[in-house]
Amino acid sequence: MTAEPQTLLESLPRAFDAGPQWLRSVRESAADALRTGGLPTKKTEAWRFTPVRHVADAAFASTDAAIPSIDGRLPEGVTVRRLSEVFSTDPGLLEGRLGRQASEHFAALNTALFEDGLWLHVEAGAVLDTPIHIAHALPASPDRSVSYPRLLVTADPGSESTLIETYRGTSSDALTNSLVEIEVGKNASVRHVRVHENTGLQVGRVDVRQEADSRYRSVVVTLGGALLRLDVRALLDGPGAECRLDGAYLADGSDHVDHHTLVEHRAPHCRSDQVYRGIASGKGTAVFDGIVVVHRDAQKTEAHQENRNLLLSETATVHTKPHLEIDADDVVCSHGATVGSLDDGQLFYLRARGIPLDLARAMLTFAFIEQVVDEVPDDETRATLREAVLARIPEGESVRDVT
Amino acid sequence: MLKIDNLHVEVDGKPILNGINLEVNAGEVHAIMGPNGSGKSTLAYVLAGRDGYEVTGGQILYRGQDLLELAPEVRAAEGVFLGFQYPVAIPGVSNIYFLKAALNAIRKHRGQDPLDAIDFMKLSKEKAALVQLPDQLTKRSVNDGFSGGEKKRNEIFQMAMLEPLLAVLDETDSGLDIDALKVVADGVNALRSPERAMLVITHYQRLLDHIVPDVVHVLIDGQIVRTGNKELAQQLEAEGYAEVRDAMHP
Repeated sequence: MTAEPQTLLESLPRAFDAGPQWLRSVRESAADALRTGGLPTKKTEAWRFTPVRHVADAAFASTDAAIPSIDGRLPEGVTVRRLSEVFSTDPGLLEGRLGRQASEHFAALNTALFEDGLWLHVEAGAVLDTPIHIAHALPASPDRSVSYPRLLVTADPGSESTLIETYRGTSSDALTNSLVEIEVGKNASVRHVRVHENTGLQVGRVDVRQEADSRYRSVVVTLGGALLRLDVRALLDGPGAECRLDGAYLADGSDHVDHHTLVEHRAPHCRSDQVYRGIASGKGTAVFDGIVVVHRDAQKTEAHQENRNLLLSETATVHTKPHLEIDADDVVCSHGATVGSLDDGQLFYLRARGIPLDLARAMLTFAFIEQVVDEVPDDETRATLREAVLARIPEGESVRDVT
Repeated sequence: MLKIDNLHVEVDGKPILNGINLEVNAGEVHAIMGPNGSGKSTLAYVLAGRDGYEVTGGQILYRGQDLLELAPEVRAAEGVFLGFQYPVAIPGVSNIYFLKAALNAIRKHRGQDPLDAIDFMKLSKEKAALVQLPDQLTKRSVNDGFSGGEKKRNEIFQMAMLEPLLAVLDETDSGLDIDALKVVADGVNALRSPERAMLVITHYQRLLDHIVPDVVHVLIDGQIVRTGNKELAQQLEAEGYAEVRDAMHP
C-alpha cells in the first residue's frame, strides 16, 4: 500500500495477489461491489440519516495493520491466532468462514483491504471462566488515517464464552472501519460486549450466524463519537436459537451515533429480543433502525424489539425506525419506539421527597441508561461503564455522590 | 403549623378549590373527607408543590413561611411530606438508593452531615419493620411491580424515614384490603407525635376507625362545608355526602 493519502475507493488495488486463492476471490468480489455500488450516499436508504460524504471524499493515510490486542489473561479453551499466520500456515482453514456474507459499502471495504486480524476459536464444550478482552486502540495521530480491524470468532458446539471488545481513540479525524464475524455453533453461547469510547469516525459491522439451540447476547455501549455507525446482524439459522441485542447510546455535543440491527429468523422456534436505549442532548443526533425478518418457514418465532430515546435538548435529534417483515403466520412479534423527555410524574415524586431538581433529573437519566449497562456480564466492565456514563450525563457527578 | 387562608386553585382554567380555610397545629390529626372530584387531591398536590395547579387567590403559611414560594424539594426539606394516592414506579432507581438520596438531601438542607451507609441501613431496617415492608422490596426499583398494598406501605416507610413535621396522606386507604389497611394505619399511628401534624385525606370513614382524627372537615365543590369531631365522619358514613350537599343547596 502506498503511503500517500488517498480516498477510500482510490485505495482499492487493481488486483489482489496475496493470500490463499479463496481469500483473493472474496476480496475481489468485495472490491467489485464497491466499484459498482460505491460508498453510501444520502440516497442510500440505510444511510439516509447518516451522511458520510465527508468520509467518502476525504483522503486517508493507511496505518499499520490494526491488530486488536488481547488484554489480560486468556482463558483456557480458546486459541487466538493472527489471520495472516493462519492464511500462510493453513491456507484453506478459514475458507467459507471468513467473509462468508456478501457485503457492500464499508463492510466490503474492510473485506477488500484488511491487512490482518484475529481468529478466536473457542473449543467444543469449553466453558471459559473469564471474558476475553479485546482492545482496539485506535490511531491517535492527528492525521487523517484509516484502519480496518477484523475479527473472526468461531464458537464450537456446546461452548460458552464472553467477549468484551473496546474501541478507544481520541483522534477526531481517524477512521476505523471494523468487521467482526461470529459463528455460534450448536448449543453454544456467546456473550458479546462492545464498547465505543471514541471521538473519531467509526463504522463497524457485526455479523453473527447462529446454529440450532445457540445463544448470542450482545450489549453495545456507545459513548458518543463524531460519527459512529454500527450494524449488528444476527442470522438465526437453526431451530431453537436465541439472540438478545441490547444497546445504550449517548449523543451529546455534535455527536452522531447510528445503530442498525437486523435479525433474520430463518428457522422455526427461535427467539429474539432487542432493547436499545439512547440519550440525545446538546446538538447530538441519534439514529436507530432495527429490522426483524421472519422467513416463511420460521414458524413459532418470538421476536420483540424496543427502542426508547430520551431527548434532553431542543437542538438534539432522534430518528427511530423499528420494523418487522413477517412471512410466517404462527409467530409472536412486537416492536415499539418512543422519543420523549423525562417523566414529570417521576420527577415530582423525587422532588417531593426532597431531592433537588438537577439531581432528580440526573438520577432518572442515569437509570434510563443503567438498565442496559446492567446487562453487561462482567463486573469490572460494568463498573467502568457506569462511571463513563456518569461522566457524560448532566450532573452525573451528583449521582455518584449519592450512590 | 399550617394555615390556609381563602385558597383558590384552578387547573387548566377550571376552578377546583374555591376558598379553603384550614388551620392545623402541631400534634393534631385532621381528616379531610369528601366525594370524588371535591378537590381533595388538588389540595394535597398544591401543598406538595406540583406543577399544573394555579393558585389564583389566598395563601398558605407553613411554620410562618409562604409555602407557595418554595420549590417542592425545599418544602420536603422543611418537613412537608405527601403520601401519594398513586405512587409512581421508577424503574432503574432502587428504593433504598432513592431514599438515601432523599434523606441526605434533606439532611444537607438542615445543615446535617450525610448518614453513612451503616447508619442508613440500620435506620431503614428499623423503619421498614414498622410497616412490615419485606427487605427485598427496599432493594427493588421504586414501586416497580409493587402491589397496591406494597406501594402504600412504601409511602409510610418513606414517611418514617424522612420524619416530616407535616404529613399529608392522600387516600392512603385506597386499594387496601382490611389487613393491609391495619398495617398502614398502625404505621401512621406510630408516627403520631406532639411535634407532628397530619392531614389525612380520605373518601371513606373506614380509615378513620384506625387513624382517629382530632378534627374532621368535609370538602365539597372545593370548599370546606363542615368541620367537626370524629363523630362527623361516622355521620357522613351513615348519611352519605348527598345529605351534606343537599343541606348546602336546598
